[in-house]
Amino acid sequence: MSLFSTLEISGSALAAERARADIVAANLANAETTHTAEGGPFRRKMAVFSGSGTTAFRLLLAGYNRLAVRTPGAVRLVQVAEDTTAPVVRYEPGHPDANPSGFVAYPNINPIQEMVDLMGAVRAYQLNASAVTASKQMIQQSLDILK
Amino acid sequence: MATTPILQLVQGFLGLVSSRHELITANMANIDTPGYRTQDIDFRSELHRAMDNGGPAMTPVSHAVSGLLQRPDGNDVNLDREGLLLAETQMQYQIGVQVVRSEFHRLLSAINEGK
Repeated sequence: MSLFSTLEISGSALAAERARADIVAANLANAETTHTAEGGPFRRKMAVFSGSGTTAFRLLLAGYNRLAVRTPGAVRLVQVAEDTTAPVVRYEPGHPDANPSGFVAYPNINPIQEMVDLMGAVRAYQLNASAVTASKQMIQQSLDILK
Repeated sequence: MATTPILQLVQGFLGLVSSRHELITANMANIDTPGYRTQDIDFRSELHRAMDNGGPAMTPVSHAVSGLLQRPDGNDVNLDREGLLLAETQMQYQIGVQVVRSEFHRLLSAINEGK
C-alpha cells in the first residue's frame, strides 16, 4: 500500500472511462450505418467494467492466505458488449441496403441515451482526475518534509 | 525505525491514512463497476491497533460498508461520501506531515542548542 498505487488505481479508471466515451462516440457516429463488415446494420456497443486487485502479487497472497481480504483496486474494460435489440426498419426502396420488400434496417441508437452515458463517463473521469490531484498533493507534502 | 515516540505514532497514523486514501480512490475508480460494494476500514479500531503495536500498522482490514443505497446494478458507491472522505483524508495526512516536520524542527533546535 502506498500513495503511488493510488495513482495507478485512478489511472486505470481514467483509461476505462475514456474507453467508454470512445464507445459512445462510435455509437453516435454510426447511428445511420446500415452496412458493416459483419453484414447488417451497426449494432450499439456497451462498455462492461470489472474491478480487479492492484497487483498480481497481492492477488497471489490473498489466494494463499484465507484471512487476507482481497483489496479492491483498479478497474478495467473487460468486454464491449453488443446491444441485442432489433434494428429499426424504414421503408426506403431505393436504398442499396434495402431488402426485397424495400425495408432498410437502421441501428437502434437513441441519441439521448448515448448523451447521458457520455455525461456519466465525463463526470466519472473528472472525479478520478480530482482523486489524482489529491494523491499528488499528499505525495508533494511528504516530499516537503525533506525541505 | 523512528527516532522519537511521537514520530513512531505519526508513522502509524500516516500509514493508516494513506491506506484509507487508497480505498477511497479504489471506490471512486469503481463507480461504474456493476456489483461493486463500497470498501472502507474501521479507522478508530485500526488506529488503536496501530498505536498498540507502537509502529506502522499491519495491513488494515477492509470491509464492505453497510447502509448505502444500492443502485439496480448492485453498485453502492456514493459520490458525496467518497468526495468528503477524500478531502478528510487529505487534511488528516497534512496534519500528520506537519507533526513530523515540527518534530524534526524540535530535534534540530536541540542539536543547535536552542539557537
